[in-house]
Amino acid sequence: ATTRIGTPKRSIHMSNVVEELVFDKREILSTPTLKSKKSLIFNKEEEDIEKILQRVTPKKPAEKTPKRGRRSNSNYLKDSETPKTPKTPKTPSQKLKMLRSGELTPSFKEREKIDQSKSTKNILQLARECLHVSAVPLSLPCREKEFENIYTFLEDKIKDQCGGCMYISGVPGTGKTATVTGVIRALQKQVQEEALPTFDYLEINGMRLTEPRQAYVHIYRQLTGKTVTWEHAHTLLEKRFTTTSPRRMTTVLLVDELDILCNRRQDVVYNLLDWPTKTTARLVVITIANTMDLPERLLMSKVTSRLGLTRLTFQPYSHKQLQEIVTTRLSGSEAFKSEAIQLVARKVAAVSGDARRALDICRRATEIADSSKDKEICVNLLHVQQALSEMIASAKVQAIKNCSRLEQILLQAIAAEVARTGIEETFFMGVYAQLENIAHYSGGVLIPTIGQVLRLCSKLGAQRLIICEHSRNDIFQKILLNVSMDDIHYALKVTSDATT
Amino acid sequence: MPDNFEDFLQIRRFLKERIQRDYTTFRGHEKERENIRQLLQRTAEMAESNSLLLIGPRGAGKTTLINAVLTDLLNNPDFIQNTLIVHLNGYLYTDDKLALKSITIQMQLENACDGKVFGSFAENLAFLLECLKSGNKRSKSVVFILEEFDLFCAHHNQTLLYNLFDVSQSAQAPICILGLTCRLDVIELLEKRVKSRFSHRQVFLFPNAGDVSFYMKLFEILLKIPNENELKKHAKRVASLKLLQSDELTFHRNHYDPGKYKFKKRITEHWNNHIDTLLQHTNVKQALQNLFEFDVSEAGLKIFIFRLIAQLQNCPGKNEITSEQITQLMSSYSNDSKVEILCGLSVLEICLIIAIKHHSEIYDRDPFNFEIIYTRFNKFANISSSMQGIERGVILKAFEHLRNLELLLPIGSCNSSSKVQKEFEMHKLALTFGQIQQAVQRYQVLPTEVTQWSQSSII
Repeated sequence: ATTRIGTPKRSIHMSNVVEELVFDKREILSTPTLKSKKSLIFNKEEEDIEKILQRVTPKKPAEKTPKRGRRSNSNYLKDSETPKTPKTPKTPSQKLKMLRSGELTPSFKEREKIDQSKSTKNILQLARECLHVSAVPLSLPCREKEFENIYTFLEDKIKDQCGGCMYISGVPGTGKTATVTGVIRALQKQVQEEALPTFDYLEINGMRLTEPRQAYVHIYRQLTGKTVTWEHAHTLLEKRFTTTSPRRMTTVLLVDELDILCNRRQDVVYNLLDWPTKTTARLVVITIANTMDLPERLLMSKVTSRLGLTRLTFQPYSHKQLQEIVTTRLSGSEAFKSEAIQLVARKVAAVSGDARRALDICRRATEIADSSKDKEICVNLLHVQQALSEMIASAKVQAIKNCSRLEQILLQAIAAEVARTGIEETFFMGVYAQLENIAHYSGGVLIPTIGQVLRLCSKLGAQRLIICEHSRNDIFQKILLNVSMDDIHYALKVTSDATT
Repeated sequence: MPDNFEDFLQIRRFLKERIQRDYTTFRGHEKERENIRQLLQRTAEMAESNSLLLIGPRGAGKTTLINAVLTDLLNNPDFIQNTLIVHLNGYLYTDDKLALKSITIQMQLENACDGKVFGSFAENLAFLLECLKSGNKRSKSVVFILEEFDLFCAHHNQTLLYNLFDVSQSAQAPICILGLTCRLDVIELLEKRVKSRFSHRQVFLFPNAGDVSFYMKLFEILLKIPNENELKKHAKRVASLKLLQSDELTFHRNHYDPGKYKFKKRITEHWNNHIDTLLQHTNVKQALQNLFEFDVSEAGLKIFIFRLIAQLQNCPGKNEITSEQITQLMSSYSNDSKVEILCGLSVLEICLIIAIKHHSEIYDRDPFNFEIIYTRFNKFANISSSMQGIERGVILKAFEHLRNLELLLPIGSCNSSSKVQKEFEMHKLALTFGQIQQAVQRYQVLPTEVTQWSQSSII
């Protein structure tokens, strides 16, 4: 038992006896009431883990601050006070062992200088901070209905103490994950007020895993803090969810980017969705993905059947909603003119309805306004227009204009060859013949040799103005135009007008 | 002129070194430079998270721009104290596993020890994400520089890109992701969720193709010797590079150091005047114009100048750059390497090439095999006086030689070559008729018979 003393806090959290059986000889901890209180505290911690992970709290006596990085004096004293803490790892393998057992928390280097205070920032800088995508507001505007929907689903499941699944879909940037975490936060608040039984909250993200099976490892680590192999984690989780335990609480599992977890065998998705069907598990799984018809398209029918029909689709934001989102973020600040916000909202809603895009464009507009050194500190239409043209950029015309003369002639030659043959795919030899003609007519240009033209080809190919084969094929390579013919004509026409 | 041997050597060495190893001087594009500088500064000072893509054709100075901005910022002590720089190249880190290890080492995380990383790929990723998650506004900013960004898009699931962009869009450690690429359509390579997390800031860096005067000016700057004040200013700037403590960004180790050089005033003046007069020369102007029409990038010009400088020798008449040298070098650019290869062939091989040309002309570039060409050649050999009595084996050998030079390309070599005998394998000709014509004209002492035969296939 002495070896496990390192992380007693986390083990309280495990509400069944499986781990005790596996890691044998662990004494079962105290009364249910105490347990629920402690895990309640833990849930609070999970909620804003970012803030607390660093700090050594008295609840984690065994936690060891790593050698590098910040180590304040108070921490140091605390270390010396508790003699039972594991010693500073001497060798890398010891360190690795501590990392795997969860005794060593990851940390990040601190700044040597504290950043600016808020008072020195001007109105634009403050607005820029509010507009950063990471500054998620406490309640998401324009997602009240979805919030309500998920909230009632989860509340019912937690109250009824049964398991279930939900599938949420929508294009990126429509507030799926933010809404779900918002719901969880609200529920955890309810738990605090003791209006709801306690529950565990775990989350995994398909894209943060190197392979689908690592999902087991991540889930298990969130339960106990230990890192084990996926086979081991799988058996432990299987035991946990399939055996009855008197003091089992409901577990809410959020699975983000579900489509990445689907491999050919689909064993991971199957397991994740099969556990809720067990009465012993009390597991509620919320899955998030982009495509609406993912269950029908990608998943096997038995998995689809387990996923159920409780589904929710997040529609892309309309321009009014985007406008509201931005104004809520700004919260009364007068950094933006209202027509400026409207322009951003309308432009973004017409393309994708992605809130991230709208916020990023607004942020760029504040930067432009900041550097323009105008007397009035306000983002107006011109700034927004510049930001829009920068970020919804089509630089192909500009790229053609900035090609060298011979590269431009080559592009013209390819376009001429396409027009001649009527086929999109052209061959180098035909293009070269056209190029010779055009060079003759335009005058004052040395006709390049074949080797030179091959070089020009691969240069344009690297830029992706054209698509060409490997130049191993020499004069037989196929060339495709990657820009439209109109772009070429437009770019070259306008420049020739400008020069004359 | 530099009468002294030492002076001459110093000038040559200085010019060469400046062209090859000056990694941080960036000219022009003030707006783009300022944009990136401000972005990095905000990341360092205000702990903002950002992402940006720098796009431009090859040789446009993308890396130099980043280096120049970093050099500027290194003068600011706050920047060094508050930021870590992580440098990754898509050609070196071909998958996420390798890239992740390098990130762990460069960020000096706890599971790295003396350049060795412990744990599996999955553990490394989890640990890195935990570390970044544990950070906040008070932790150091990390600047990720991803060169050849388009190659990172080819990694499995784009896990690395997703996670980096995700961190930049959530309340975690402040990071800035700078992607450098030459592909204009790089955003289309990103997966939709990665694309949504990317902030869509794109900076385009196009070489100034509008006017040739900028190009001429650049030529002048690269060849002239700066005065003492400028040298000192440069030396100071280079000295600040020592503050860069990155194992991956190694340009500071072997950077060109202007502090080493000291030129006598007389020599500087003489050399610079000489360059001025050189630039007035019409031939020089024409040569540069031709070069400019082919390649507008600074990198191309630098190669040209390096070749020019390398021709300087310490003897009268050769210790200065002349307009003849420039025109000569320029004409070497327009030499066709294939024609040169043809001129090095034996007469028998030229005869085979001519036979192939005749076949291609008659049958409109139909493929051919050895037998077809052998027959056609034999018709000519029988009536010629110099080509009689060559054995079939010798001709086959010559044919193979042409094939090995890749003047002849086999058709469908991958599937059928093993079954077909080599005399019957079909080929196509990787030359244009113009090239063959040129080679025949340029060939030294080609028998008149062969020249005549090359004009017409009728014997």
